[in-house]
Amino acid sequence: MARLRVLNVVIRDTKIEVTEDMHGKSPASPDSSDQAHRGTGAKFQAEEDSFSGSSGLLFEQAMAQTRMAVCLTDPHREDNPIVFSNKAFERLTGYREDEIIGQNCRFLQGAKTDPAQVAKMREAIRSEDVVILELLNYRKDGSTFWNALHLGPIYDDAGELLYFFGSQWDVSDIHLARAEERHAKAMAREVSHRLKNVFSVIGGIVNITGRAMNAHEVAGRINDRVQALGRAYEPTLDDASLGTIEAGQAIRAVLAPYDPENDRIRFNGQSVRTEPNAISVVGLTLHELATNASKYGALSTPSGTIDIAWQHETDRHGRQSLVIEWKEQGGPAIDGEPDQTGTGFDIAETLLSYSNGALERHWEEDGLRAAISLPIH
Amino acid sequence: MKNILILEDEPLIAMDLQHAFEDAGAQVQVATNCDRAFEMLNSTTFDGAVLDVNLGKGHTCKPVAIELRDRGIPFLLHTGDLDRVGEFLRELEAPIVPKPSASTLVVDRLCAICESRAA
Repeated sequence: MARLRVLNVVIRDTKIEVTEDMHGKSPASPDSSDQAHRGTGAKFQAEEDSFSGSSGLLFEQAMAQTRMAVCLTDPHREDNPIVFSNKAFERLTGYREDEIIGQNCRFLQGAKTDPAQVAKMREAIRSEDVVILELLNYRKDGSTFWNALHLGPIYDDAGELLYFFGSQWDVSDIHLARAEERHAKAMAREVSHRLKNVFSVIGGIVNITGRAMNAHEVAGRINDRVQALGRAYEPTLDDASLGTIEAGQAIRAVLAPYDPENDRIRFNGQSVRTEPNAISVVGLTLHELATNASKYGALSTPSGTIDIAWQHETDRHGRQSLVIEWKEQGGPAIDGEPDQTGTGFDIAETLLSYSNGALERHWEEDGLRAAISLPIH
Repeated sequence: MKNILILEDEPLIAMDLQHAFEDAGAQVQVATNCDRAFEMLNSTTFDGAVLDVNLGKGHTCKPVAIELRDRGIPFLLHTGDLDRVGEFLRELEAPIVPKPSASTLVVDRLCAICESRAA
């Protein structure tokens, strides 16, 4: 390892200062300890060590053992060459010390290194600034790694520029993880887009077939349910990796088409994550409620409103349910329960009963109040 | 609302929309790409249009949307990919009906836009 005169390194603010001790003895002069105490950052001051008796040796041992690759360059020599590097630097780059010393740091750069990052580095050196950046570097064997580089000037006691300090950290894993996350998001988006198209095409087929068979109205009803289901599943794709989905997103997605101006349906829900398999039943039931409201209830008048709240409830046996409350107001006055409430509600109630869930409806004077409850397994 | 242009590369969706507009008393022309849409725009005066955003092979409805805007013809975007429509929307401020939606809803929304323009 290259022998250095550097003994005391004090980080103060973001500048790194070095005091020299030519004698290799304790640097504990009042002046330098005062400096260390005024420092706001970490204190890297080598002190008298009973084992080595030399702070210089201590510095070298620390540098040899740290897993962080470190180098120093000398800006007073031609082309700012590396004058010191540690073992970790050798391990990271694959070069031997004798191949490193004397090189300018650019020997780690290659074809795919971002010139913009290199320019920032050059600017930091020119203005004696501290910079932290990430750039693609090349090892001796040609393989690449993402280097989180911390670069800064080192001054002597008189404030004269002595060296540049560089610490390198291989952050390739982090870069890989970020790339994979981006890829997964792009895939989810593509799948989501295609799924929506598939639902749209299914809608087309149902309508076209219904029309050809003189069953336009039936086809329309089938379609409304298929589309409600499609909307209910939309948000699940973004969340698919988590295993559960946000109930509120599914509820909003199902009901969105019934409130194009976004001022008739009010959503009041906590962040509740629920099982994806709850969604088809909940989606279809909400669709029936909204269809009913459009025909006979709060959405059949110009100013009626619907309040929807959802939460997880735990009963006395410790079983959890997703509970969605529905309250219409401002629709036509209601005079008790209607004689017939439609096949849609029959379907919804049957589906809910399979999971021990229920749909309760109360035909209150100012509007329908309903509660969907669905046990979560 | 008499003459409607539908730009949609998926034939089944286009046919469904065509039926829904015809049921509402409109005459419909369907284009599956921008070139066809421009041909139709040059021979027919349209009252409104429904544009699918992604027309396959990286093509979008953008050129047609700009032409419609310049001619003052109301239109809406009918798309399943609301993210990709983003920048486009900011430029044109066109209304969106997300896919999948009932074809009758698309008709209703376009009628509403046309009426609000007329008013």
